[in-house]
Amino acid sequence: MSFEIPIGPQHPALKEPISLRMTVDGEVITGVDIRLGYNHRGVEKLAEQKTWIQNIYLTERICGICSHSHATCYVQAVEKLMELLPPRRGLYIRYLVSELERVHSHLLWLGVAGHEAGFDSFFMYTWRDREIVMDLLEMISGNRVHYAINTIGGVRRDIDEGQKAKILEGVATLRKRSEYYFAIGANEPSFVARIAGVGMLSKEQAVSLCAVGPVARASGVARDVRKEDPYAVYDELDFELCTADSCDVLGRVVVRVKELLESYKMIEQMVRNLPDGDIAVKAPRKAKPGEAVSRYEAPRGENIHYVKSSGADKPERLKVRAPTLGNYPATIEMLKKGFIADIPLIFAAIDPCICCAERAVTLVDAANGAESIVRMSELRRRALARAKNAPVKGNAVWPF
Amino acid sequence: MSDIEIVESLKRDLGARALEIANPDRRRIFLKVAPAELVGAVSLLRDKYDCAYLATVTGLDRGEAFELLYHFASPVACVSVRTEIPRTAPRVASICAVIPGAILYEREIQEMFGIAVEGIPDPRRLNLPDDWPDGQYPLRKDWKHVRPAEVIPGGKS
Repeated sequence: MSFEIPIGPQHPALKEPISLRMTVDGEVITGVDIRLGYNHRGVEKLAEQKTWIQNIYLTERICGICSHSHATCYVQAVEKLMELLPPRRGLYIRYLVSELERVHSHLLWLGVAGHEAGFDSFFMYTWRDREIVMDLLEMISGNRVHYAINTIGGVRRDIDEGQKAKILEGVATLRKRSEYYFAIGANEPSFVARIAGVGMLSKEQAVSLCAVGPVARASGVARDVRKEDPYAVYDELDFELCTADSCDVLGRVVVRVKELLESYKMIEQMVRNLPDGDIAVKAPRKAKPGEAVSRYEAPRGENIHYVKSSGADKPERLKVRAPTLGNYPATIEMLKKGFIADIPLIFAAIDPCICCAERAVTLVDAANGAESIVRMSELRRRALARAKNAPVKGNAVWPF
Repeated sequence: MSDIEIVESLKRDLGARALEIANPDRRRIFLKVAPAELVGAVSLLRDKYDCAYLATVTGLDRGEAFELLYHFASPVACVSVRTEIPRTAPRVASICAVIPGAILYEREIQEMFGIAVEGIPDPRRLNLPDDWPDGQYPLRKDWKHVRPAEVIPGGKS
């Protein structure tokens, strides 16, 4: 007997609308269907009617967490089309904001992972620390969410010595706190036991399903645009590509904690080596006919924009592929053969950003198709109850 | 492998099947093939050039024809495979057998441009709602949004 369980599209516990339909056999998930489109706003069509400059602000609004990622990916492509070379100081400030954004996004995700695993004090710690980096972003750009610091040909705001000192101070505090997260698994074996072996995605599956970002890297696929295709300043920075080979949610936590520390390293390098000079060059109103493919490593994985110009002041075509969409085929595999109780944890582990890519759960019984609607809170309760009764996985070890 | 080596090697491997190869920028390669050669070219890229990762599929409405760009990335270059499909017969073969991760992008191409992807394992719509009228393809250049007249249930009070 199998049931189909729908989760979403609308649910108070889900921050964004998506519909997951799980076919379950008892407690085990045998099939998953993801339905998208509840948040489709037609951004690609709209972009064809806006000018090059207006589109910076449009692409920034594709997402509220990785807003800078989309805007940067877009301006990179347009600068290529317009044959502009932004000044190095402008580039350093732009990618400094990129790394600060990655820090805030990863801290947010660590908190969500802790929450879904039933470790709420971890959630409170990381979100407290996230305020430090949010304040830094506000100081640099004037905004907490849509920084609006990019412009075609550079950035819109400069930073001064006082701000540099504050950034270094903030990063030093964050590093100290993050080192505590490093040790957390060693002190909290129950947390490790909850996330180890959940949401398995083998390396072969990650490759064939085109997974991106921390999800791919946690399955041992060393794929990072900053290393493969070092855009702008990344070939001048000293950092390491972070991977894990446990292929589960534990691996995804490990990769993101490691990336936090790498980002702190990059931020310090960029602030200390900030070149002098202008922050932007003047951009023409129109771009020459041509096309450009721009790649950017967003906190969730590779972001790719394709821009085509016909010589007008508007793009002929703007194609956006956000990392969450690239991770959906892999998510289906992760959920299969898992337990209903693990759905929130596995789904949260890809760090889904529905508004980038484009929640109640319905459980459907396979034999009779009967549906029962389950609340996310109820699912969480079941997840916690199951974890409590599960035998502690003695072989799960915190890798640091 | 540098960009030039990849371009030379692709020319040798594909011969006349490669209609056009361009290298406009560092680590950016554009390859044009006929629609009939698409699956073969994609398999070659996957097996020999380490391009198992498909970033996305872009559709373009060029008036007389549609263009599809399959953006692949290997650790050394981003290879975009271009193919041109006549507007009168909008059909293309699915590459899901070679690259299983292409499924969502092919579904998107199908609903947004009305290009039938032959052999797609899951032909349902991706983003558009279930009650979207047939024959409306929003990313075609000649498609204009017409806002339907607002109907207040029970009439205006």
